[in-house]
Amino acid sequence: MMQRGFRAWSAVVVTIALMAAACGGGEGTDDGAAVADDTAVGDTGADAPDAADDESDAADDGSDDGVDPATDGGTPVHGGMATYGIISDGTGFSTTDAVQEGAIRIIGALNDSLVAIDENGEWAPLLAESLTPNDDATVWTIGLRDGVTFHDGVPVDAAAVQANLDAFRASPTVGFSLSVVESIEVVDPLTVQVNMRSPWAAFPHTLIGQPGWMVSPETIGLNDMFVGTGPFVLESWTPGDGAITVRNDDYWAAGDDDLPYLDGVNFKVIPDQSARRQALEAGDIDAYYAPGDLDIIDFMATDDIQIIVDSGASNEILYILNTTTAPTDDVRIRRAMAHAIDQELIISQFRSDLTEPASSFIDPSSKWWADTEYPQYDPEEAQALVAAYEAEVGPAELTLFASNIDSVLEVSEVIVSFWEDAGIDVTLEIIQPGNEVPPVIGDAFQAIFWAQFGAVDPDGSYVFFHSSGGLLNWSNLVDPRMDEGFDLGRESFDEAERARGYAMVQEVFADQVPMIWIDHLSGVEGVAAQPDLNNILGGTLPDGRPRWGFLSGSYFSWDDIWIG
Amino acid sequence: MTVVGLRIARLLLVALIVSFFTFVLLDASPADQAVQQAGFGATPEVVDQIRDDLGLDDGYLVRYGRWLGDVVQGDLGESVVSGRSATSLIRSALPKTIELMVLAQIMALGISIPTAIHAAQRPGGLADRISSGLAFGFLALPAFVLGIYLTFVFAVKWDLLPAVATDIPGLDEDPLENLRQMFLPSLVLALNLVAVYLRLLRSDLIDTMQQDYVLLARARGYTRRRVLWRHAFRPSSLSLVTAIGLNTAGLIGGALIVEFLFAIPGMGRLAITSVFSEDYAVVQATVLVLTLGFVLINFVVDLAYAVIDPRIRHGAR
Repeated sequence: MMQRGFRAWSAVVVTIALMAAACGGGEGTDDGAAVADDTAVGDTGADAPDAADDESDAADDGSDDGVDPATDGGTPVHGGMATYGIISDGTGFSTTDAVQEGAIRIIGALNDSLVAIDENGEWAPLLAESLTPNDDATVWTIGLRDGVTFHDGVPVDAAAVQANLDAFRASPTVGFSLSVVESIEVVDPLTVQVNMRSPWAAFPHTLIGQPGWMVSPETIGLNDMFVGTGPFVLESWTPGDGAITVRNDDYWAAGDDDLPYLDGVNFKVIPDQSARRQALEAGDIDAYYAPGDLDIIDFMATDDIQIIVDSGASNEILYILNTTTAPTDDVRIRRAMAHAIDQELIISQFRSDLTEPASSFIDPSSKWWADTEYPQYDPEEAQALVAAYEAEVGPAELTLFASNIDSVLEVSEVIVSFWEDAGIDVTLEIIQPGNEVPPVIGDAFQAIFWAQFGAVDPDGSYVFFHSSGGLLNWSNLVDPRMDEGFDLGRESFDEAERARGYAMVQEVFADQVPMIWIDHLSGVEGVAAQPDLNNILGGTLPDGRPRWGFLSGSYFSWDDIWIG
Repeated sequence: MTVVGLRIARLLLVALIVSFFTFVLLDASPADQAVQQAGFGATPEVVDQIRDDLGLDDGYLVRYGRWLGDVVQGDLGESVVSGRSATSLIRSALPKTIELMVLAQIMALGISIPTAIHAAQRPGGLADRISSGLAFGFLALPAFVLGIYLTFVFAVKWDLLPAVATDIPGLDEDPLENLRQMFLPSLVLALNLVAVYLRLLRSDLIDTMQQDYVLLARARGYTRRRVLWRHAFRPSSLSLVTAIGLNTAGLIGGALIVEFLFAIPGMGRLAITSVFSEDYAVVQATVLVLTLGFVLINFVVDLAYAVIDPRIRHGAR
């Protein structure tokens, strides 16, 4: 009997044993479990939008001791491996190619740009020791720090910086960002001189991003490695699954605190939004990028998870209109399309009222923002403009391209209904994510969903609007005021003059409507994290100035972050 | 041996045909691999150079022949997205999918075989009705619903298992941690299979129990349980083996949803991300490997028939 019973249930026993082994094995499921008691909404901008302030207040009300782990959290502790859930890991790390967002998040741990940005939005030297312009900003001299090396031990000297900048300039895919640069010279082992074709006062801001990423010269252009100078070293990258980085024990900016605090960061690709959330709630990961608006609302109501949202440097959601193709070549149709859209409804229904309506790529919290007469929701005016166009030209028909992403399509379908209510015959054409750029570059579009911009300094968007941008002038609008405004912003050191330039630019957006702006994602673009992951927004620069929190798209540096 | 040889030849032919049609289909795609590799903003000269380097202006038969020649030499091509070889990407993804598939089958069989035998002892009885009801309940639940629910219970509420596979160690490195991370995704796949296996085996067992030799065994005084296990189970398992073969092969590429949900970088995810990123070398390589896996498993199933049922073996002679 015993033997028969064993045979009958042996398979069940195997299954149960498997379950027991699975449940009992391993450790650390309670790493970062919900034990801390703070919920916080990070907000680095002093002039953040009212809505964000309100949310911040609401969140702060829910904390017990008023300590914000996003910017403080107490006494730092060394050690621990953080796991960060990301949506994708991009397509590689070559600094001379178009690096995708997932890879940029990983590079955030591996890299120090030549320039960083402080809490007030001003540029500050980071890997560079100094940047000095001549009087008219046609020559910039970059001073480098002595003794800094890449992860492979190669010194970060003038030759290395020259090699990186020259390779970037020569890149057919990204070199346009430095098209103003005429030549780069090595002055001495720690000094590089950048000569411009025309004045470029805002040049340092460009070196915050990809043009300012420095990698060991032998590895320039290699796609599956990133030999930088950052607080962590790339240990492995499995395309589609993520990357594991480990502490750089020779970090040049270690300082008295012996940075970085963490032993490493595991960037784990978790494509599914609900899986990312459950992984955080289960304590399997320490943070994840891009909680949806509903996640944010839920987490704000609990002390178990901290929510850190972008402030002032988030992407914008918009629809680009091709101003050289009918019917969007007619400003009446473009204005009608803007008048037709109820931005508040979109924000209410799809963003849980967390974002701000947009009228340009400049966030209302920015010192560069200007109030304009951008067309507001007025369905009657929209219908009148379309009727006037049709009476003169003929039927207003267009195709809207939208990426095959649920959150994009659901908004785009409502947008289509707005435009159809105005009298425009719209066909929604779904395209695969990642395929948005070719039709825009090839001018084979009339209207297309877009998410971009959010740079702290508007000069970063120069090529996308200035007539000299060529293919990258997405809407193809050529307007002397737009060019003059961007040129003023680029060439002048005078902040008031720059502000005047960017005000002109925003007025052109309002008059000519080359884009239909929906909202700034400043309230929803962010990170959800365990309460014991500290200091995500609280880093300091080498000169002691507090660092700007998130760069556009919720990118942040890992050197000052600690678990405890 | 001749039969085996013929089946191997058929296996290769199927793989060849599938790979050819995959190549033709990918070739018909509007996406331009040269543009894809060059990236946005690239000059026409750069695109033309890449097109020339990749030989994209040659006819598709020439390019298919060139690809096949490379495959024979072990070169499955290179990802235009990451620059990694397709072989290395598959080598990284395939073991995880195979483990997921094997664990899912072990769990599904571990649940369904004893349950089916128990149910077949008293068809229509309480145990039969409960087990069938539960099994169909699991079958009716899509994997993503079951996955989210089980994760919520086992990971979020009870904190017993991880919600996602964060860094799966090899079975040889840390088998317990490996099983801990793979348990829930395997269970989700297994529960969907249980209903199929349970119903097939149960009905075949009930039929077999009506056979004369079974009645003879019963007449000789053997217990019903012994007759089921010793005399009825093996001849009743042919349909089950067929289903196992089909499902195993299907799981190689069909675990996509589970791989996405639990963040497992397996073959399903590799295939679908390659399709979305128009990384055709990887798509082609993935399809080839999945095809080979499919026909190979069915080949093994064919052989298994002869082992399980001597009548088939004799018939083959």
